[in-house]
Amino acid sequence: MLLDSNIKKVSLQVCSRCIYDERVNAITFDKDGVCNYCHQVENLKQQYGTGVEHGEATLNTFVEEIKQAGKGKKYNCIIGVSGGTDSSYLAYLVKEWGLRPLAVHYDNTWNSAIATQNIRNVLTALNIDLYTHVVDNKESDDIFKAFFYAGVAEIEAPTDLALAEVMYRAAWKYNVKYVLEGHSFVTEGITPVGRNYFDGKYIKAIHQRYGHRPMKTYPLMTFERFIWWSVMARIRKIRPFWYIDYNKESARKFLEREYNWQYYGGHHLENRMTAFFHGIYAPQKFKTDFRNNTLAALARNGKMDREEAWAEYNTPPKVENELLTYFKKRLGLSDDEYERVMNDVPRSWHEFPTSKKRFEKLRPLFAILAKGNFVPMSFYLKYCFPSKED
Amino acid sequence: MITIIDYGMGNLGSVLNMFKRLNVPAKITSDADLIANSKKILLPGVGAFDNAMNSINNSGLREILDHKAIVERVHVLGICLGMQLLTRSSEEGECAGLGWVQASTYKFPPAAGLKVPHMGWNVVKPTRRSELTKELFDKSRFYFVHSYYVKVENENNSILKTHHGITFDSAIQNQNIYGAQFHPEKSHKFGMHLLKNFANL
Amino acid sequence: MLRTRVIPTLLLRNESLVKTIKFGKYVYIGDPCNTVRIFNELEVDELIFLDITATVEGRAPNLEILADIANECFMPLGYGGGVKTFEQAKSIFQIGFEKIVINSHAIENPVFISELSKHFGNQAVIASIDVRKSFFGHYSVRTYSGKKKADIEPTLWARRLEELGAGEIIITSIGNEGTWSGYDIDLVKTITEAVSIPVVAHGGAGCLQDLSDAVKLAGASAVAAGSLFVFQKKDMGVLINYPTQDEQENLFGDI
Repeated sequence: MLLDSNIKKVSLQVCSRCIYDERVNAITFDKDGVCNYCHQVENLKQQYGTGVEHGEATLNTFVEEIKQAGKGKKYNCIIGVSGGTDSSYLAYLVKEWGLRPLAVHYDNTWNSAIATQNIRNVLTALNIDLYTHVVDNKESDDIFKAFFYAGVAEIEAPTDLALAEVMYRAAWKYNVKYVLEGHSFVTEGITPVGRNYFDGKYIKAIHQRYGHRPMKTYPLMTFERFIWWSVMARIRKIRPFWYIDYNKESARKFLEREYNWQYYGGHHLENRMTAFFHGIYAPQKFKTDFRNNTLAALARNGKMDREEAWAEYNTPPKVENELLTYFKKRLGLSDDEYERVMNDVPRSWHEFPTSKKRFEKLRPLFAILAKGNFVPMSFYLKYCFPSKED
Repeated sequence: MITIIDYGMGNLGSVLNMFKRLNVPAKITSDADLIANSKKILLPGVGAFDNAMNSINNSGLREILDHKAIVERVHVLGICLGMQLLTRSSEEGECAGLGWVQASTYKFPPAAGLKVPHMGWNVVKPTRRSELTKELFDKSRFYFVHSYYVKVENENNSILKTHHGITFDSAIQNQNIYGAQFHPEKSHKFGMHLLKNFANL
Repeated sequence: MLRTRVIPTLLLRNESLVKTIKFGKYVYIGDPCNTVRIFNELEVDELIFLDITATVEGRAPNLEILADIANECFMPLGYGGGVKTFEQAKSIFQIGFEKIVINSHAIENPVFISELSKHFGNQAVIASIDVRKSFFGHYSVRTYSGKKKADIEPTLWARRLEELGAGEIIITSIGNEGTWSGYDIDLVKTITEAVSIPVVAHGGAGCLQDLSDAVKLAGASAVAAGSLFVFQKKDMGVLINYPTQDEQENLFGDI
C-alpha cells in the first residue's frame, strides 16, 4: 500500500540499494541492509556475464547456433512482440545480428492503437514477417471475467501464458528451434515468488469454475504441452538481455527516432487489460503494485535516485479516464456488480488446482532443461521451489 | 450547454457523441421551453429540404427558433441540411427556408463526369477568418454528402469554400449564425476541432 | 478536390470480427469496438460492416453491437447484413450509421431499395452485388453469401438498382476475395460503364497499387478492401493498417 513518499520518513525497513521493503514476499536483508533480491540479480549477472565479455561471447555462440540450426529454413528464430520497448528493440538487434526472425503476437483483443501501430512501424521498417493468434473476443472476455469472479490476482495470466504457447506453436509450424525473449532481469528485476502464480492447469480450473463459453480458440498451454515443447520439440528459449548491456531509456529514444515508435508512458496503455491490472485491479483489490519491480531495478542499477523511485512508487498510479468504463462494458458488468466483486475477499492461487507440486517434484529434470536453455532459468527458480507462504 | 434541435431529421446521436468526446455538455431536445433557455443551438439535418422545413414549421418550434436566432442572437450552427435550411430557399423544394443568412441553395449542375451527390472527403479553403474555423489543421478535410449546394449573396458571409464541379460555400456565417455543409460529427479530428471552436464561442 | 474513398470492410460474425477467404473459411480478427478504435486512430475515411451470417441464418441485424460501434466512430459508417424491413433500416440510421448495404434482399424485394432511398435519400442506400466468375469466364450474380444464384446478369442488375434509387453500387468479386491477387478489373469496369452512380470496387485487393488500378483502369469512385487492411501481408498475421494521407495522395493523384 502507499506509504509516505519520503523514504526517510518511513518506519519499515527498505533495502539500502533498491526499494523493496519488508512487505515483499520472502525478503531478507544482509548486514548492510541490502536485500536478497539485489543479491539474486548480482548472482545472475555474474552467472550470465551480463554486459561483459563472458556474456557477449555466450550470446555470440547462440547467434551462430541459431544460424546453423536455421540453414535452409525460412526463419531461424522466433521473437515475441507486443509493441513495447523490449520486444521492439530486440527486433532491431536480431536483424543487426543477421538472423531471420518471425515475429509472433498473441492478440487478446484488448490492444490499443499504440500497440498495433508500434508493431506495424517496427516490423515494416525492419522487414520482419508477423504471425498472430487472435482469440475469439467473446471467449477472451469470458476467461477474463472468470478470473475477475474468482477473485484472484492473476488476471494477466491468460494473456502471458497464451503468448508463450503461441510462440511455441509458431516455432513448431516453421520448424524453428529458438525463441528469443526480451526479458531482462536487470531492468525488470525478478518478481518475488509466492504471491502470484500461474500455469495452464490453474487457468483451466478458474475457467471451468467461473467461465461459461467453451475454450475453443484460446491457446491453453497444458502441462503436457509444456513438456512437449521443451523436452520433445526441444525448442530453446534465449533471453539476449541477460547477456548484454541493455539500456531501456536509450532503446526508447532510438525506437522513437528510427521507427516513429511511441512510448505509452509506463502506464501499460498498450493493452487495456494490462492497464486495468496495473492501474486498478492490483493496487485496489490486492494492495500490490508491480511498479516496484521496475522502479527497484532502476534504483538498483543507479539509473534512478532511490528516494525518487520510492516517491514514485508511493504515488497513486495514473489511470486512463475511460478505462474502467471500458472494462465494465466489455465484461458486461453493472456498476454494482463490479463493486461487489471488487470488494469481495481476494482469493489466492493456493485455493485452486495447479501444477505447482508437479513442477517441484520434477525439479531435477527442469534443472537440466534450464541449463540447456530449454526452459528459462527464471522459470526454474520460480516454479520448481516451494513457495514461502505470505 | 449546446442544445441540439430534434425536429425529426438528422444524425443527432453522432453529434451528441462527438460533444461527449470533447467533454462539452450537450443535449438533444424538441421541447420549446428548453430551447427557449438555451445559449447555443445546433441545427442538424439529413434528408429533403421541404420535409425539414415542414417539420420545423409544424413542430411549434419555428417561433422560438426565430427569436433565439434573430432577436436574442444566440450562436447557432446548422450542419449539412441544417446549413441549407438557414438560407432563403432551395431548388430542392417549394418551402421557404429560415432565411437567417442571405443565401440560396442550388442543385449541382449536370456535367460530364461530375458525380452527384457530392459524397466523400474534400478539402476546404478559407474565404475569410472566422472564430468557427480558427486554427483549423493544415490540409483540413471534411466529409460531405449532399446533392444541393449553397451560394451566399454577400461574400462576407462565406467563410469556407470547396470545389466540386463548381466552387461553392462549404461554411457560412452571418454574425451569430453559422453553417457547415459537411458533417463535422463524421470528420474525425477535423470535425472535432470545428465543434470545439463552436463550443468555445 | 474530392478524394477517392478508401474503405475497409469488416466482417461481423456473431459478435466477433472475422475475415474469410472466397466466402469460405474464416479467421478471427478481433473485437469489433476495439478494432474500430484502432481505425479511428488511423483516421480511416469510412467503414463498412457486413454481418456475414445474418441473411443466411435468417437473423435480424444485431443493433446492440452496432450501437457500440457507432459510439466509437467519428467517420461515416455503412452496415449490411440481413436488412429486410424499413423499421430495421430506420433503427440502424438512428443508431448513427450513414448507409445501409442491401444485397440478397434487393433480389427478393427490389421495391425495398426504392422505399429506403425515397425516405432516407439515395446516398444512404448502397446496393451490393456479389459476382462469381465461372470457369468459362461467365459472370453471375450470387446471393446468400454466395450460396444462391440469381437469375440476372450483373450489368443489367446494376442498371436496375440505379433505377430503383440506389446511391452507390459495391461490386464484389467472390473468386478474388481474400486472395490478394487484385480486383477483377474487367468486372468493375463493366459495372462502372453501365451506371452513372458511384461504384465501389471490392474483393481481391493485395497491395496499394491495386487500389489505384481500380480507379485508374476500371473507373471506380471508391475502393474497399478487407484482407489488405487487417493482415500484415498475405498468409501472415493480423495487423490493422491503413494508408496514410500522403500515401493516398501518391496513389490517386489528381483524379
